[in-house]
Formats: sequence, C-alpha cells, structure tokens
Amino acid sequence: MREARDALVLLLAGGIGSRLNILVGHRAKPAVPFGGLYRIIDFSLSNVMNSGLTRVGVLTQYKPLSLMRHIGTGAAWDFTGRTRGVKILPPRTGEKDSDWYQGTADAIRQNIDFIQANPSEQVVILSGDHIYQMDFDAMLEYHRHKEADITIGMMVVPKSEIHQFGAGIVDSENRIVGWEEKPREPKTNLASMGIYVFDTGYLLKTLARDRQEIDFGMHIIPRAIEQDRVFAYPFYGYWRDVGTIQSYWQTNMDIIAEHSEISPEEWGIRTNIEADGRPMDRAPARFLSGCDVSSSMVSAGCIIEGTVVNSVLSPGVHVRKGAVVRDAVIFEDSVIAENAVVDLAICDKRVRIGRNVVVGAGGDRGVANREYPKHLYTGITLIGKMAEIPDGLRIGRNCIVRPQRGGTDFAGVERLEDGASL
Amino acid sequence: MLKPSTLAMILAGGRVDELGVLTHYRPKSAVPFGGFARVIDFPLSNLMCSGIELIAILSQYRSYSLINHIGTGAAWDMIGRYRGISILPPFKDYENPHWYRGSADAVYQNLDFVRYHDPAEILVLSGDHIYHMDYREMIRYHYSQDADLTAAFIRVDRQEASRFGIAEIEGDDPQGGRLLSYEEKPARPRDRWASLTVLCFRPKVLYEVLAENQKQDSYEFGRDIIPMMMEKQYRVFGYKFRGYWGYTRTVDEYWQTSMDLLGEHPRIDMEKWGLRTNLEHRNIRDCQPLKIGAHGLLDNSMAYNGCIVDGTVRNSILFPGVRVAKGAEVHNSVLFFNNTVKEGASLCRVVSDVNTVFGRNARVGVAGVDGPGKVTVIGWNNRVPAGITIGSGCTVAPRIAPESWPAEGLADLEVLQ
Repeated sequence: MREARDALVLLLAGGIGSRLNILVGHRAKPAVPFGGLYRIIDFSLSNVMNSGLTRVGVLTQYKPLSLMRHIGTGAAWDFTGRTRGVKILPPRTGEKDSDWYQGTADAIRQNIDFIQANPSEQVVILSGDHIYQMDFDAMLEYHRHKEADITIGMMVVPKSEIHQFGAGIVDSENRIVGWEEKPREPKTNLASMGIYVFDTGYLLKTLARDRQEIDFGMHIIPRAIEQDRVFAYPFYGYWRDVGTIQSYWQTNMDIIAEHSEISPEEWGIRTNIEADGRPMDRAPARFLSGCDVSSSMVSAGCIIEGTVVNSVLSPGVHVRKGAVVRDAVIFEDSVIAENAVVDLAICDKRVRIGRNVVVGAGGDRGVANREYPKHLYTGITLIGKMAEIPDGLRIGRNCIVRPQRGGTDFAGVERLEDGASL
Repeated sequence: MLKPSTLAMILAGGRVDELGVLTHYRPKSAVPFGGFARVIDFPLSNLMCSGIELIAILSQYRSYSLINHIGTGAAWDMIGRYRGISILPPFKDYENPHWYRGSADAVYQNLDFVRYHDPAEILVLSGDHIYHMDYREMIRYHYSQDADLTAAFIRVDRQEASRFGIAEIEGDDPQGGRLLSYEEKPARPRDRWASLTVLCFRPKVLYEVLAENQKQDSYEFGRDIIPMMMEKQYRVFGYKFRGYWGYTRTVDEYWQTSMDLLGEHPRIDMEKWGLRTNLEHRNIRDCQPLKIGAHGLLDNSMAYNGCIVDGTVRNSILFPGVRVAKGAEVHNSVLFFNNTVKEGASLCRVVSDVNTVFGRNARVGVAGVDGPGKVTVIGWNNRVPAGITIGSGCTVAPRIAPESWPAEGLADLEVLQ
C-alpha cells in the first residue's frame, strides 16, 4: 500500500511551445497528440496519478480549449471524488493582478489563493511538456528525508545539450551549491527537468518576497541555493523534452524501436478517450490482404491496405492500396490515398493526402525550411490539420503545408520544393 | 412526451451447451466477439442507434461477466433521467420459488417491473445474435398493422430451416404479413422464414399470454408463446428482415461468423453499424496502440489496441493484449483477450479463450488447410505445453493442470477435460 501524503500538484501547461510550429497552431503544447492515442500532458498527469497524488491544478494560458476539453472532469486519471480533483487555473484579472502569467514563478504566485485553499505540506510543480515516467512519491520522500526547502528533479545530459536547461552543481550530499541557467560554457552536465518540490510554507514565503522574481530557473533557484536548503533528486530513466519538431518526431520513433525504452501501457499512462467525441470507440484496426506493416504502432479504427513502415498511426487513419507511409507520425482520421507516398512527415488530424502525391520522397534533407530554418532542418515535413493535398502533387523535405489548405490554395502549384511553405 | 415509450427486454440468461468451453464461465451473450466486443453489444448498440434507451436484461447463468460488462450503461448512452439499463436476476419471494424456467417465465416473473414503466410497446430480444437492425422500422410496421405481436424473420436455406422457429408469412408484401403458421424447430419446415427472436408485443396482450402460459409446464417464447397466440387468433405479424444475421450457436458457427468480420467489404462492418462496447470492461481503454515489430505480418486480419505482433497473422482476429512472438504463425483463428503465442508455435482454425499461452513450437489445429475442417477450441487460462501437437476439432477445457496434458498430444476431435 502506498502512503503518499497528499502534496498539492501544480502543472504548468501554459507554454506556447512555438518550436512545434503548426502542431501548436490551435492547441497548447501539452495538448499535442503523441504516441497514437495520447497527448503530451497524459504522461505528467498519469505520473501524478500513479504516484498516489490526488489534488492537481493545471495552469493554462496559451490556447487552452483543446487542453481543457482533454482534461475534462479528470476522471480518466481518477481525479474525481470527494477529496480528489483537477482544476484548470487560467490567468485572471483581479484587484491587483491583471496580467498574463509572466513566467513560471509568476504563474504560481498568481495562484497563491489556490495553494492556500488546498492545505498541504509540499507543493509539487511540474511541466506538462515531457515524456517520462517518474514516481513523485519517492521524490517527496527524498525531499522530507533531506529536510530540503526545495528539491529539483535532475538528470545527466550530454554536455552539448546542457545549454537548453538549468544546470546544477552538487556536493557529495546532492545539495545544489551552484546554478547556471542555460549556460553557454557548462561546468556541469546535471540538468534540471523542471520538476520541483517545495515546502509549502517556504514557497509562499519565497513568492511573497519579490514580485520581480518571475521565473524559477532565472530568479528563485539561484537565490535559494545561496540562502536555503536546495537538493537535487537524481533521475536515471527515459525523459525527453518534446519541444522541437525533431525531438517530437524522434520520441515517437523511440516507442516503436525494437528494444524501446518507452511503453505507455507498462508505464500506466492514461488518456481521456472521450475528449473529442469518440476517438477510441472504434472497431479494431483492419489489415487487408496484401498490406505490409512493420515496426509501427497502429491504433484502433485504422484501415491498412498499403505499406506502413516505422510509423505511428492515431485512430482512424486509412492507408489505401499502393500507398506507402514511412517514418511518419499520422494523427486521427487522416487518409493517405491510393499510391501516395508519405516519407518522413507529421500529418495533423483529418489530413487528406491525394492519389499519387509524394510527400518528402527523394528530396534533399539538408535544405532547411526557408521561413523557419530553426524548426525544420532534418528533413521532416509538416502537414497541417485538415489540409487536403490535391492528387499528384509533389512536396519536398522540410516543407510546411498550413492547416486547412486545399483546393484553390494549390492552384497553379505543381510541387513544393524542399524547404518551401504553403 | 419525454419518457421513453418502448421498453426493451433482452434475454441474456442462457448458456448454450454447444459453445462448450466458451460458456463455462459466462453466458452466451457475454462471449467475446469482433476483436474487442461481446455478443450482447450488438443488440445493445442496435437499441442505442434506434433511440430505445430503456432496457432490462434478464440474466441467470454466471451473470458476473455480463454485469461487469454492462457497467453503468454509459457506454451505450443509457444513463440519464429516463434512460437506463436494469439487470434483472432471478429471485425468490412468497409466491415464487423458481429460477427462471424459460424466457417467457423470466419476463413473467418481472412483470411488476414492466408494469411500473408502463410502456406503449415491449420489445423482447435475444442477446445472442450478430446483426444490425433499426427496431423503429419494425415498431412502425407493428403499429401500421395494429398487431398484438410482430416478430422479425429472415430467409434461411431450406436445409437449415429445421434449426429455427419457422413461419409462413401471408402474401408477398416486402415488409411482411400476417403469420399463417409458426413451428419451433420443425422436422419438415413448411417455409424458410426463420425467427430472429426479435419480438414486439402489445403490452396488454403480453400480460395476458404470459399469465395463461403459467398454467403450462414449458415457458419459452418460441416454443410456447407464439404458437399459443396463433392458436388463440391474436393478430400476429411477421416482419421481413433482409440484413445480415450471424448465428453463433456452435463453435464452428462462431468461427464462421467471425470470419465475416474480415475482407475488403466485411459483411459485419462494426464501424458502419455504430457498434459500441464498454471500454471499461477489462480496462481495454488503457491499452496502447497495436505494436507491430520488424518481423510482424498481418494479412486480412483484425487486431485491437494492446496487441504486440512480431510473428505472422493471417485471416485472424486478435483481441486486446494478444502477443504473437517472432516466428509464430496464427492462421484462420480467433484469439480472445491476453493470449500469448510463443516463438515457433503455429495455430490454425483455433478459437482460444482469454489468458491462454501457447508454448514454443506448439502446433494446434491442422496447418495449411483452408478448406472445411473443424475448429479447435481452447478454454481459458490454459498453458498449452511447448512442442505439443493438437489436431483439428479438438476441445480443451479451461485451466488444464500442467500434468494433465498428454505427452502424445491430442488427435483430431479429441476432448481434454
């Protein structure tokens, strides 16, 4: 039996995640579909549930509707009941606070009333952007054992990547004695995962101190390590920030790898299947004679007549005869028509790829997208929600077709060159 | 008027001996079907799609699986102010010491429930068949004929007709007509219209005939109630149904009907039929998508979330949680929830109940035969030993102890208890 003392969880789900480009065109990053059936935030919410924690506030800001619909009553994660609950906490206007969330610490500060209304010994602060499995109950136990004021989930990353993170220097007791936020020249390879445990009293006191301190990594943590007890909680498992198109795609591919480190089912990841009407209320996937599927994940409701290799398919995708889907992530109810090829692409929901269309094949992966060279430079092409690609079109590498493009938008267009956008 | 006018009563109590090991621990209506669903989901989904939302389920044999499956009824949207599914188990009271002695007796014993709801029409359905029907069309026909009873019939082959309740229907109206005769399982059938056990009653008449039936010693709708109503000159009509009707009374029929789920244009198109099941049952909603390994092959097959396939699967149906290892072969088979087929094992024409493991290099059913051949059925929670050979048409009871498996395997048609 678990004995998680009931810490309060605050989940930061407000970030734009703009590097995910058109995938976050009408949804917040935590609500981006992932792994066929899931959304990114399911991993954090399920970790909370599996850690035995039952009271959660989700701080939203950017395009929250899709996220709010997905969370619903919280029943999918067993957050309904007499003392359980998940609350959406959007920015509000008040007597004094009349602003959007300025940063992570500011967002928590604007919800001090929620923290006070839900008495707790500790507050767990998480981000809704990561793919991982973690037991927060063990982390809370560690926090109490260390008599820490703040405990930060940290893991070793390659030195070349540390510039994206907050980096900590620890002593032999794992006490953090030095901190660098997104360092150019790192002195350490221990990165913050954006997972914090605060003693509740300490958190309230700290937030009350200085309203100019709006970010945990930039302001609160560096000051705390000078004055207070801040510890690193080492994490050794699989953890990915899926904040870029490349890492989002790679993390999807990691699930289907032969000796995969991610298994949503074994990790106990839950999702809300009711969110968009009836996504999971579908018949088993059908594989017709002559189809060829390998190294892939295929969700219920798919119909496969063609070839699918190394790809992740959400419910209701139809791959018609002669079509080839390779190294792709395809969201719900998209159709790949006869003899079309989709090679190295992410297709959003209800996309239609016309007959004989070629997406990605044969082009030069090195030609980055001209408009967003920092988003698309590894060859991945993005097809936006409900776009309809007319028959026979050729689309190169690193291309973007914006949502709902179709029909006349393609007038006179015979091909999209590598790196082009529509 | 907001209150529903139709009360549907589903007969879901039966066990059906011919299905053998598949109904050792569950009633026929709770037998898995279609790669994720149960047989009773078909009538329930038909009711939902017909807008009939007040349902009673008469359940007797091993009802736990069924009760678990129905849950709150929310899966079929049957939860709300005037919507709901009630499960009616047998009971004892001052007057009645019996189990349900038959389908008609089951309804009779629950007449207080029926009268309380005071329906305008009562639909009595079997929970055992695979079909798609809009009951509203039949109810409209029932009213247009001012019938006391309207029963649905389908044309069957003459050589099969003696297995069913067979009617002669007057005239050649494509919708239906008055019943001229009705015989339950006649040795020499007079016609080819077989009863679907989809019956629409005028409530007052149903109350009368059920009370009358209590004086006899047999209590079945087909065998007793319909013939009695014919004899007493009630207005009994036949409604002609022309859709697909899957009959699953034997293991071979169960297998054959399952095969109708496959192909380019499946005769049973669950997506089109609007089939719903309770995804909370066995928590299949929590399964991850089907995972196909580098060596996996699925051909003319159906598989639900939660399966992992790295072997060869042809003409088969895999329920959630089935694992097919590299080098394993599954042909023309139906594997229920959480079966595991280990490396080198080969299955052909097998129906295997939940939680069974096929050991390495086990050979079950006769491989490579696509023609007629009997289906081998394996009961639940078995560990089929590595290397064993089991022929076609065999039956293996649930939970065979490890020492009880014969080293020489099972010859065709053998039964292992």
